[in-house]
Amino acid sequence: MMDLKLWGCALLFPLQIFLCVLRAAVRFLLPPRRKDLGTDVVLVTGGGRGIGRHLAKEFAKQGAKKVILWGRTEKCLKETCEEISAAGTECHYFVCDVGNREEVYQQAKVVREKVGDVTILVNNAAVVHGKSLMNSDDDALLKTQHVNTLGQFWTTKAFLPRMLELCHGHVVCINSILSLSSIPGAIDYCTSKASAYAFMESLTLGLLDCPGVDCTTILPFHTDTEMFQGMRVRFPQLFPPLNPEMVAQRTVDAVRTNTAFVVLPWTMHFIVALKSLLPQSALEEIHKFAGSYTCMNTFKGRT
Amino acid sequence: MNIAAELLVVSFKVICSFVLAGAKWLVKPREKRVAGQVCVVTGAGSGLGRLFATEFARRRATLVLWDINREANEETAELVRDIYRETEPRRGSGDGVEDVPFYQPRVYTYVCDVSKRESVYSTAEKVRQEVGNVTFLINNAGVVSGHHLLECPDELIERTMMVNCHAHFWTTKAFLPKMLDLNHGHIVTVASSLGLFTTAGVEDYCASKFGAIGFHESLSHELKAANKDGIKMTLVCPFLVDTGMFQGCKIRKEIAPFFPPLKPEYCVEQAMRAILTNQPMVCTPRAMYVVNFMKTILPFDAIVCMYRFLGADKCMYPFLAHRKESTNNNESKI
Ligand SMILES: NC(=O)c1ccc[n+]([C@@H]2O[C@H](COP(=O)([O-])OP(=O)(O)OC[C@H]3O[C@@H](n4cnc5c(N)ncnc54)[C@H](OP(=O)(O)O)[C@@H]3O)[C@@H](O)[C@H]2O)c1
Repeated sequence: MMDLKLWGCALLFPLQIFLCVLRAAVRFLLPPRRKDLGTDVVLVTGGGRGIGRHLAKEFAKQGAKKVILWGRTEKCLKETCEEISAAGTECHYFVCDVGNREEVYQQAKVVREKVGDVTILVNNAAVVHGKSLMNSDDDALLKTQHVNTLGQFWTTKAFLPRMLELCHGHVVCINSILSLSSIPGAIDYCTSKASAYAFMESLTLGLLDCPGVDCTTILPFHTDTEMFQGMRVRFPQLFPPLNPEMVAQRTVDAVRTNTAFVVLPWTMHFIVALKSLLPQSALEEIHKFAGSYTCMNTFKGRT
Repeated sequence: MNIAAELLVVSFKVICSFVLAGAKWLVKPREKRVAGQVCVVTGAGSGLGRLFATEFARRRATLVLWDINREANEETAELVRDIYRETEPRRGSGDGVEDVPFYQPRVYTYVCDVSKRESVYSTAEKVRQEVGNVTFLINNAGVVSGHHLLECPDELIERTMMVNCHAHFWTTKAFLPKMLDLNHGHIVTVASSLGLFTTAGVEDYCASKFGAIGFHESLSHELKAANKDGIKMTLVCPFLVDTGMFQGCKIRKEIAPFFPPLKPEYCVEQAMRAILTNQPMVCTPRAMYVVNFMKTILPFDAIVCMYRFLGADKCMYPFLAHRKESTNNNESKI
């Protein structure tokens, strides 16, 4: 009896996989239904500038009820906040360093009291130090870890319980393609983003049977913000830097269509697949050819 | 150089590396000698760390054992000494081992909490003074908190990250400079298959292991970019190992016989072979390579289907429940 069931499952399994692939393909061609953001309160960490700023504006544009910005620099938070308010969406900002656990919990409380329950949490804040291991300062290595990885643990722990109670919520993470395919010269960033990726994947699997609460992870390639300023890819015609507005649009769309993982641009899928297939020495040759061994030499970053 | 020509050369090299990998697979390359080399093993007091220590001892390497638990570490040292005695070549005997100079390896033990940066640096300094240059660094120490994310105390999350991931920064930074000078060394990262794919309920553990692998990969590219070919790196990704770390973890009952928990001895044996033949990565069992590849080509829904079929998506839940029960019992006892 047990055996029969297993065989049944085993026979059905390839079919199931095939259906999933088919469904993904169909979704790619025919856009699925999009959820309405009208009741959602969105919190964007690092919402003052860069991709975060575009994300906040895009969420507001696509009908979110309220938008909350977190960040460390009050000036750009305020600017973004004013811009969003002027366009007619309620917007608040709070100064909060996500790398600081106590501060996250405290500001989360403030947000709950002053604005209400957050239903879409966008973990976007990140820093990059951009040096090789031996040139990295210990504190800088740790700081990247605290902001990029642990920060997401704290924000999620602060807001997820309420989402589960309401059976309504979405955890979004702006990760990076470097989490799946690392390059030299940004060891702090690659480590922290790989961790953050695992966190999101595990969380996504865990939340599969919590109706109403979903996860989205975005893995963009080099984006045209100040974060990776100076980084130079070898074939910019082939892999041009992404436009932050586009990343924001695709993110909001992925949230509305409930897509779990989005790789931008989709050609990056090849690199990830190659990595799991090629012998290490072949991979190294390809990296060398593609210029990823030298792209960080000119890196300046946020100064 | 012309791009087209360069592309041609790269394609050729890629094909070559495939051929080479195939050849290595058919004809096992010779294992490198480690006798007399200094080998640091973190978390040597138990489980895989202890087995790594004994395997290196069998090959007569000088061992430097690090653990937070002094007693357990001393036990390992005792085991290592026994092995040294057993494997001692008979002096002056005529069995053709004369060309190997006689060398009496020693074992050193240090109490060190690898999650503490200062502790790592000061212990490493002691090692440099008391033992000498380190050739092998086995980053093996690891912990698991065993709570669901929302119930897990923050300190435990931090601890998991610090021991399983951040510790690699400090140990590597402590020993790498000398390796770079000599262009000679070998760094081994003991991660887990949970560093290649995740499962529900152990966010912190998966995050730390993925981080360790991200670190490993970035570092190995860094060494390659700097042309430090003498420093090798090996990534060890075992599936669930029978060391009691994940007691209770279960995949689907009917599938389980195909993926039995690994015997730690087997896992270390495979890892040692990979290390001694400078293989960049080893997954045990081999089926993990396939799962890893499938994961990169399938859409997420299909991956979820696959996990559900294997019963792998919630395989940690019984472990977490078991953990909870045992801690509750302990608390009630106190
Ligand atoms: N740019 C790229 O090429 C690229 C590529 C792939 C992925 N990404 C990802 O996209 C996300 C946004 O990047 P970006 O290009 O917009 O970078 P960015 O321009 O440097 O913006 C980062 C944002 O995070 C905030 N932030 C940094 N540390 C923080 C902290 N400790 N607490 C709170 N907020 C903090 C910053 O605000 P304050 O400084 O005011 O705090 C800023 O608003 C990041 O997660 C990044 O990893 C970027």
